[in-house]
Amino acid sequence: MTQPAISVKDLSYSYGDNLAVDGIAFDVAAGEVIGFLGPNGAGKSTVVKILTGQLTPLKGTAVLLGLDIVKERKQVQHQIGISFEDTNLYEQMSAVENLDLFAKLYKVENFDAMSLLEKVGLAGREKERVASYSKGMKQRLMVARAMVSDPKMLFLDEPTDGLDPVSTQTIHALIRGATQRGTTVFLTTHDMVEADKLSNRVAFINQGKIVALDTPARLKQRFGLRALKVEVELPHGETAIREVTLDEEQTAQAVFDLFRNERIVTVHSEEATLEDIFFDITGRGLQG
Amino acid sequence: MIGALVVKDMKLFFRNRFFAVVTVLGLVAYLIIYFLMPSQVDESLGMAFFLENPESSSLYEALTDEPDAYVFDSEAEMLTAMEETNDFFVGLSIPEESAAAIAKGEEVTLNAYYAPGVPAEAKQIFHDVLVMIANAANPEMLANFDRFQETEIVLGNDMSRAPLSMRDRFVPLLLMAIVIMEVFGLATLLTRDVENGTARALITGPLRLHQFFIAKVLIGMILAFGQLLILITIMGRLGTAPLLLLTTSLLGGFLMVGTAFLIAAISKDNMSVLAWGVVSFILYFIPGLSIMLPGLSTGWMEVIPSFFFVDSLHRILNFEAGWADVNRNLAMLFALGIGTLAIGSAVLRRRF
Repeated sequence: MTQPAISVKDLSYSYGDNLAVDGIAFDVAAGEVIGFLGPNGAGKSTVVKILTGQLTPLKGTAVLLGLDIVKERKQVQHQIGISFEDTNLYEQMSAVENLDLFAKLYKVENFDAMSLLEKVGLAGREKERVASYSKGMKQRLMVARAMVSDPKMLFLDEPTDGLDPVSTQTIHALIRGATQRGTTVFLTTHDMVEADKLSNRVAFINQGKIVALDTPARLKQRFGLRALKVEVELPHGETAIREVTLDEEQTAQAVFDLFRNERIVTVHSEEATLEDIFFDITGRGLQG
Repeated sequence: MIGALVVKDMKLFFRNRFFAVVTVLGLVAYLIIYFLMPSQVDESLGMAFFLENPESSSLYEALTDEPDAYVFDSEAEMLTAMEETNDFFVGLSIPEESAAAIAKGEEVTLNAYYAPGVPAEAKQIFHDVLVMIANAANPEMLANFDRFQETEIVLGNDMSRAPLSMRDRFVPLLLMAIVIMEVFGLATLLTRDVENGTARALITGPLRLHQFFIAKVLIGMILAFGQLLILITIMGRLGTAPLLLLTTSLLGGFLMVGTAFLIAAISKDNMSVLAWGVVSFILYFIPGLSIMLPGLSTGWMEVIPSFFFVDSLHRILNFEAGWADVNRNLAMLFALGIGTLAIGSAVLRRRF
């Protein structure tokens, strides 16, 4: 069996008396995109900080790319790229200067800042000071900076939080491009649509614990309730909604009866979202 | 890696308009002030005299031999000159009969016109000079003084022959002022890196924390030492014990770097850097001021870290002091630099 890119066992961390991460364990395969979903304060960013060597765990181990993050922190940090939740760019420098600085720190030979900036849609404004950039542009530059060394593993902490659709799409394209090159991506977000679209697997984290971890499809299958919503026309021209729950023994008969006996106006299929499932499991929403 | 950070910090420093302008204008302004300050000490005490019928008076020759004395043709002319110029602190009118009495060694009473605000010491000096002039005009009386002879022994440098000009006294304060401006600059660079999270972005890559700090020390030293070197060179003072002067400048720059770390450690943003910077600016200025105005100097000044810097500069530049004279100061500068740097970086690393 191939070695997982990330292997976490019994990981815990607390801020004073507040246990932020409570004995979590999971593996991530190389080239996989794992989405860490949870509301604010659930422990997502703390897990990222531990895995990137910014915090030392209270107990447990985390092995990334075969290296222990506590004992071999610098070797790990040399092979990963991080896009932080808060923008932390040198705003008085240009995009090119920001990228060139990190390329020098990572000792990247023949670094081509322009080709990376083209990928994030910042070509043409590469010489402007970052201070003049919009939030979306800064976020795209943050992701580009994380990719300067073409890392084996990317940590993206809320990379599209509050961004416009264009910036979000650009970042999604970058993530897909990275995974096609075999990069493992650790994505924390509270945007379930984003996690659903990008992640091979998603982990629900709540109050420092992983409460579910699987592919989005299997989670929906396991926890969600799929249904058909059928709009029918009543005798006096009014309409009504009939709902047929799928995946049940009598589903086929119910659909047959509906189509034979009623005058159908529209038919919609409906499946549970990750947010619905998260709510079902934890009793709280992702935005909370 | 450290080189890349130093280049980056240099760019950021000079892209901050405030620091760029203050650094360049500061250098120019301090140099202008330096060269405008008097380079020599004017210790002459001008004395005005009116001597009635000078040709017949033995006093005339004695008066014209006195370098600070000027003999006018009339009493009115003398008084006008006293009022219109500040060249004379006293004027003395000597009528013909008084001059004759002086020549005979008799007691006389004369009117002495003093400029406003002349201190009692100056009046006493004038009285003594008058006695000397009278004695010179009367060789018989002078013979009494010839019985006394003395050998002068001056402890240390004889400053009466080469008194320190205001410009010389100003140099340590000026050098102090230019480097302390860099405290603001370096503390701001540090605080911004910590508060904006850019320091975190750097050290979660291959860069190690100590490399980050070394880069900051280097940029601080380049800015502080570089400006000291420029100023000292343009002022033409580098010829005075160059190695000792450069060592003192390096250690002074090092103290400023440590101070900047300390300020950054207790500051949350640019405003608090400014507030703490002003406090340290005032504190560090005091020892330099006491050199310009020696009457201010007191023993407690030695607890101010900058004392060891300005005192060393003062001794080296103005009294030709050697290594043995300032080694204690240099050791203190090094220890204080290390101490402030250690405390500052220990606090800062907890905020990353």
